[in-house]
Amino acid sequence: MSARDQHGLAAPHGEFQIIGKPQRKIDGAAKATGSALYTDDLTLPGMLHAKTLRSPHPHARIVSIDTSAAQALPGVHGVITGKDLPTPYGVIPWTPDETALAVDKVRFIGDEVAAVAAVDEDTALRALELIQVEYEVLHSYQDPKEALERDEPTIHQNKRGDNVSKRVKLDFGEVDQAFETSPVVIKGDYSFHGSTHAAIEPHCALAQVDGDGLLTLWSATQITHYVHRALSSVLDLAPHRIRVIQPAIGGAFGGKSDPFSLEFCVAKLAQITGRPVKMLWTREEVFYAHRGRHPMEMQYSLAANEDGKIQGVDARILIDGGSYSSFGLVTTYYSGQLLTGPYDFPTYRFDSTRVFTNKPPCGPKRGHGSVQPRFAFEVQLDELAEKLSIDPIELRRRNSLGPQTKTVNGQRITSCGFDECLLQVEEASDWKNKRQSLGSGKGVGVAGSMYITGTNYPIYPNEMPQAGIQIKVDRSGVVTVFSGANDIGQGSSSMVAYVVAEELGLTLDMLRVVAADTDLCPVDLGAYSSRVTFMVGNAAIDASRKLRKLVVGSLAKHWDVEERRVRLVKGEALDLEDPERHMTMAEAFQIAEVEHDTLGATGSYNTPTLGGDYRGGSIGASPAYSFSAHVVEVEVDEETGRIDVQEVWCAHDCGKALNPILVSGQIEGSVYMGIAEALYEHHQTNRFGLHSGPSLLDYPLATTLDTPEIKSLIVESNDPEGPYGAKEAGEGPLHSAIPALSNAIFDAVGIRLRHLPFTPDVVLRALREKRANDNQAPSPGSDA
Amino acid sequence: MRVLQLEINGDAREVAAHDHWTLLEVLRYSLGLVGSKQGCDKGDCGSCTVLFDGKPVLSCLTLAASAVGHQVTTIEGLAPKPTGTLQPVLDPVQVAFNDCGALQCGFCQPGMMLSARALLNTNAEPSREEIHQALSGNLCRCTGYTQIVQAVETAVARIAQGDGASASNDGAAGHSPPDGGVPA
Amino acid sequence: MLRLPSFQLEEPKSLYAALVLLAEAKGEAMVIAGGTDLLPNLKHGLFAPKLLVSLARIEGFVGIEEEPDGALLVGPMTPLARVAESELVQAKAPALAQAASLVAGPQLRTQGTLGGNVMLDTRCQWYNQTHFWRQSLGYCLKKDGTACHVVQGGKKCVAAASNDTAPALMTLGATLRFERLNEKRELPIKSLWSPDGIWNKRCDKDELLTAIRIPAQDPGHRGAYGKLRTRESIDFPLLGLAARLTLDHEGRVQDAEISGVALAARPSPVRGVADVLRGTLPGTAEFDEAVEAAAQLAYKQLRPLDNVPGSAWYRREMVPVLARRTLQAAAKGEGPVHPL
Ligand SMILES: Cc1cc2nc3c(=O)[nH]c(=O)nc-3n(C[C@H](O)[C@H](O)[C@H](O)COP(=O)(O)OP(=O)(O)OC[C@H]3O[C@@H](n4cnc5c(N)ncnc54)[C@H](O)[C@@H]3O)c2cc1C
Ligand code: SF4
Ligand code: FES
Ligand code: FES
Repeated sequence: MSARDQHGLAAPHGEFQIIGKPQRKIDGAAKATGSALYTDDLTLPGMLHAKTLRSPHPHARIVSIDTSAAQALPGVHGVITGKDLPTPYGVIPWTPDETALAVDKVRFIGDEVAAVAAVDEDTALRALELIQVEYEVLHSYQDPKEALERDEPTIHQNKRGDNVSKRVKLDFGEVDQAFETSPVVIKGDYSFHGSTHAAIEPHCALAQVDGDGLLTLWSATQITHYVHRALSSVLDLAPHRIRVIQPAIGGAFGGKSDPFSLEFCVAKLAQITGRPVKMLWTREEVFYAHRGRHPMEMQYSLAANEDGKIQGVDARILIDGGSYSSFGLVTTYYSGQLLTGPYDFPTYRFDSTRVFTNKPPCGPKRGHGSVQPRFAFEVQLDELAEKLSIDPIELRRRNSLGPQTKTVNGQRITSCGFDECLLQVEEASDWKNKRQSLGSGKGVGVAGSMYITGTNYPIYPNEMPQAGIQIKVDRSGVVTVFSGANDIGQGSSSMVAYVVAEELGLTLDMLRVVAADTDLCPVDLGAYSSRVTFMVGNAAIDASRKLRKLVVGSLAKHWDVEERRVRLVKGEALDLEDPERHMTMAEAFQIAEVEHDTLGATGSYNTPTLGGDYRGGSIGASPAYSFSAHVVEVEVDEETGRIDVQEVWCAHDCGKALNPILVSGQIEGSVYMGIAEALYEHHQTNRFGLHSGPSLLDYPLATTLDTPEIKSLIVESNDPEGPYGAKEAGEGPLHSAIPALSNAIFDAVGIRLRHLPFTPDVVLRALREKRANDNQAPSPGSDA
Repeated sequence: MRVLQLEINGDAREVAAHDHWTLLEVLRYSLGLVGSKQGCDKGDCGSCTVLFDGKPVLSCLTLAASAVGHQVTTIEGLAPKPTGTLQPVLDPVQVAFNDCGALQCGFCQPGMMLSARALLNTNAEPSREEIHQALSGNLCRCTGYTQIVQAVETAVARIAQGDGASASNDGAAGHSPPDGGVPA
Repeated sequence: MLRLPSFQLEEPKSLYAALVLLAEAKGEAMVIAGGTDLLPNLKHGLFAPKLLVSLARIEGFVGIEEEPDGALLVGPMTPLARVAESELVQAKAPALAQAASLVAGPQLRTQGTLGGNVMLDTRCQWYNQTHFWRQSLGYCLKKDGTACHVVQGGKKCVAAASNDTAPALMTLGATLRFERLNEKRELPIKSLWSPDGIWNKRCDKDELLTAIRIPAQDPGHRGAYGKLRTRESIDFPLLGLAARLTLDHEGRVQDAEISGVALAARPSPVRGVADVLRGTLPGTAEFDEAVEAAAQLAYKQLRPLDNVPGSAWYRREMVPVLARRTLQAAAKGEGPVHPL
C-alpha cells in the first residue's frame, strides 16, 4: 500500500465540521421535489422504443428465427437477434457465457431472443408477435441436485461436459483431527431459498449515436465501468467511442451490477436505426433478469470444546446458480471464504459447488454469497449454545476473533468492533431479562456476522487504482468533484461531497459532484462489494489534500505566516493567530490560482496486497471488515404459525459514521430486507419451469405494516485505513438478521428453523411436529 | 385520440390521448411530469401515486380520460406556489423527508410523500399506527420505512410549531437530527 | 410499461345512456368502475373489449343512504374507503365496513368501488399473469386454453372468488339490483354465485349492478370480518370469513351465520352454524364450545383449493381458527380479525 492510500483518522482541522454529523444528501432536494431524473425520465428527439422477445421454453435449441414480418410492420425501425450481437460476455471475464440475445440456445423461460425498435411500445409489441421462432425443446433442469448428477443435456458447454458452474474446495488446518478430538460435534442440514432485489425502479437503458458515431448509453446500472468495457467488446467498438452515464437510479442492491441484455440491444438498435432508442423493462422482465440470492443447500458440522470454543467447521454447499454464470465464480468462493470471522476457527474446510439450472440467473444480492452460509452457521452456533447451556451472546464472545488478527483462511483483520456490537445489542434489547423468560410464544435471538469492505480482487486483473477522484476548482468558490462511483441511493455522491468539503473547509452548497459518467469521471469499479465509501472516500481525501496543500501554501505565502496557522473552515480561510485576517474560499482559490495556474487535483485508492497464499486466496480479501450483531424479538402465534417480529436491534461496526443518518438508513434498510426475505419472499419457478409469480403482488415486499421496529446502533471502531476510519454499512447489517430471527423463534416456541423461508405454513407444520414429539416424549428433557 | 382538458397542479393542461392511455403515461410521456414513477404499472407498488382531489390514487390504474374534471396533484405540485421570495419553499413533508434521510434512491418517494401529504390533509396529528396505515400502499425497498415514518412525524411536529418549510441546505448546523439511531 | 390494449371509452352521465351503450355493443363492451381489477386484467390480456363503459360520471351512483325502514342503499360506485369509513355502515353493517377496510391498500380503496368488488373477476395463480407468462404455460381453461392446472384433468375452472365484501354482504342478506335496457331485477347476493370460475355469477355480462341494498338488521345484530393474507396491506385474501350473530333481548344467540371467500369459484356459506350456536350466551363456556363446533363445521365445509398462491393446506387449517376468532369478535362487537 502506498502512502497515497492512508490518511489517518484525524480531522483535517482539528475538529470535524461536516464528517460525523447529520447532513442532508446533496441530491435530497432534487429527490424531494421529483426533479431528480432517472433513466426512463429521459427523452430524446426522435427516440424509438424497444421491446424484447423472450423464450417461452426453459431449455431449447433455436432452430430458426424469421423476423421478416416484424421488419415489414410500419413503424418498426430495427429488429435484431442473437446473430447481430454474437460476442459472449459476462461480468466476470473468466466466465463469458451470456449473449445479449440467444445465439443458438435459450436457457430459461424469459431468456432474451430478439429485440425490436419501433415508434412506440405498442408497435414494438405488435412486431414481437410477428417474429417466428422455431425451437427444439430440451430437457430442463429445475432441481440443482439433478443438474449435479445428470450431464446430458448440458446447459453450457465446458471441458468436463457437466452442469457444474464452479467448484471450490479449500482446507485450512487439520479439520478431521479437530472433529476426532473435540468433545462436542454438531451436524445439520440447512437451506436458503432464492430471493431477488426488487428495486422499485425497473431496469431501463437509452442509447444514442451522434453524427460522429459516438455512442452514449444512459442506463440504470451500478457498474458503469464494466458496462463500458462490455459494450466495447460486444459491439466491437473502441471504448473511446462509447460513453456510459448512470442517471439517478431507483435502487439496485446488486440487481443492476451485471451488464444486461437491454444495454446492448438499445446500443445496437441505435446504431442500426440512427435514432435514439430506449428500452424499459416491465416488472415481469426484471424478475427474469434476476441475479438475486442463490438458493443454497448447506451441510454444516461444527466441532467445539465443552467451554464452547470452536475447534473446527466443515461445510458442504450446493449452490443453485440458475442459467448463467454472472458473478457465480465469486459467489462460490464467497460462500466459504467470508465465514471465517468474527469468530476464531482453528480449522476450517468448505466444499462449494455451483450448478447451472434452467431458471433465471442468480447473482449478487446484498450480502453476496455470504448471507446463506451465515444463516446456517449462526443457527448452528445457537444449537451449540443450547447444547452446552451457554448464553448465546456469551458463546459468541468466547469465540470472538478481535482486532488486528488473521483469520484461518489468511484474511487480515484490522479494526474489529464485534465485541462492542454484542454488548450494545445485549444492553439495548434488555437481552438478559428477556432470553428464555418472555413467556408464551415470545422470544429473543442473537446472531453475529462479518462482511467485506470492498475487495482487492478487481474483477479484471490490473494494477491501476480501484477508485479515482478528480477535483476542479472555480474562481467562484465552486468545487466540482468528478467521481466514477455509482450512487445507487446509498448516498455515495453525498459522501464524496462531505469529504471534499471537510478537507477544503467548504460549505456543502459550494460542492458539485458529477458522478458515474465515463466521459467525465475517472474510473471507479462500481457500487458492489461495499467498496465505495472506503475506496472512493480515500481517493477523495487523497485528491483534496493535494489541493489543500496548494491553497494553504499560497495563503501562507500571501499572509507571510507559517502554513500551520492557515485554516480552511466553513467556506473561509483564516489565520489562526490573527482573527482579523480571513477571506472567502473563493478569494483563497484565486490567490492559489495566481501561484499554481488553473487549480485541480486527482486522487486515487488501491488496496494493499492482501489475502491467503493459495489459489483464490485473494477472493474475499478486503482492506477492512465490518461487523454486526442482531437481536431479534418475536412473538409466534402457536395456533397460526404467524411470526410477528416486534423489534430488531442491530449494532453495526461501520468504522466511523461519516454521516450517521445515512449509516442508520443503511442499517435499517438491510434489516428490513433480511427479515422480509426470511418471512415473505420466495423467488422460485413452478412445475412448468415458469417463474412462480413475477410481480410485486405475487412476490410480496413488506409494507410499513409488516416491518418491525428497527433500532440501529452505530459502533465506531475507527479503521486505520478507512477514510477517517470508515468501513462499510450497506450489506453487513443484513446478514445476521436472518439467523437471529430463527434463533428468536427457537427461544419463543422451541422449534429450530433450519430451512428458509419461515412462512406461516412452514412454522405451523414445525409447531405441530414438535407438539406431537413432545406428547410422545417419555419424560421432559429426555430428548436432549 | 381525443383532447383532454386536465387540471394538473393548478394548471389547465390540454393533452391529446388515446382512450387506453393511463394517467401515468400521459403525465410522464405527454406532459413531461416525470416525477410520478412507475414500478409495476399494475397497482402493486404505489410509486405512481398522485392526488385526485386531495386523495391518493394510483395513476397506473387510472385512465387519463377519467382525470377530466378532477384536480390532480403530482409531486411537481406538492410544494406551494412560489411567493416571490428567492428562497425555494417546499412542503414540510418534503423538507422533513430530506432532513431525515428518508430519500435513499428516492424512486418510491414521490408517491410516498403524496400519501403522507394526503394523510396530513385529513389528520393533523396522526399516530404512528395511522402513519403506517396511510403509507401501507407505497412500497419502499431502500429504507425499511424507519426514516420515512420519522420524517412524517417530524413534519407533523414542525407544522404544529408553524415551521418546516425551509428548503435551504445550510450544511452541518442547518437542521437537527431526527431522534433515534443517531448517536449524540 | 405494461400496455393496455386499445379500446374506446365512453363515460355516460346517466344510467340510461350507459344501458343503451351496453345494449348497442352486443357483448363487445365491458363496464369499468374504479378499474382497479379491470385494468390490471386488461394489461394481462385477459379481456379485449372494443368498448369500455365507465360508470364514473353516472349521476347518483355514489352514496350511502338509509331508507325509511332502516335499510342501507349503497350506490355501486361508492368507493370502498367511503364504505369503510361510513359511520352508518360501521353501525349497521359492521362486517361490511370491516371487509371494505381490508381490501387492497389505501389508494386502491379510494379508487375501487363496492360495485366493482361485488363484480370482481375470480382469481388464480395460473390466470392473473401476463400474456407472455400464460403463453409459456400453454394457457388454461379460463382463458385461451384447454386444461386446468389447479385440478389437473379437471374440466371446470375453480379460480377463487376473492372479493372481501362478498361474504360480508352475504351475512347481511344484501340484495343486488341489476339493470339492462328495459329490464330490471333484484337478486339476493346469496343467489348470485355459481360454481364456474370462468364466470361465477348468475347474471349476464351486460347486466349492470345499479345498487346494493342491505336490509335493516335486527337490533341484536353483531357482525365481523376476518381476513388471512400474506402481508397486512395490499394483498388479496387467502381466506376471508364474515360472521353474523343475532342476539335476542337476553343476549343469547338467536341466529348465526358464517360465509367464506377465497376458497373456490364462489363465496360459500357454512351450513348448520345457527343450529350449534342458537341459545348460547356469549362470554360463557357454553358459547365458546358452540363457537368451536361452528368452527369445525366451517373446517369440514370450506375447502380452499390450490387456486391462489400459497399453501392450500395452510389456508384450510386456518378456516377453523379464523371462524372461531371472527365469531368471537362479532360477539364482542369487535373486529376485524386481521392480521390473523
Ligand atoms: C394490488 C391489488 C390488490 C387488491 N387487493 C384486493 C383485496 O385485498 N380484496 C379485494 O376484494 N380486492 C382486491 N383488489 C381488487 C380491486 O381493487 C377491488 O376488488 C375493487 O373493489 C374493485 O373495484 P373497482 O371499482 O376498481 O372494479 P373494476 O375494476 O372497475 O371492475 C371489476 C369488475 O367488475 C365489473 N363491474 C364493475 N362495476 C360493475 C357494475 N356496477 N355492474 C356490472 N359490472 C361491474 C367490471 O366490468 C369488472 O369486470 C386488489 C387489486 C389490486 C390491483
Ligand atoms: S382454476 Fe384452472 S382453469 Fe381456472 S384459472 Fe385456474 S388454472 Fe385456469
Ligand atoms: S406503478 Fe402504479 S402501483 Fe406500481
Ligand atoms: S427510497 Fe428507494 S425505494 Fe424508497
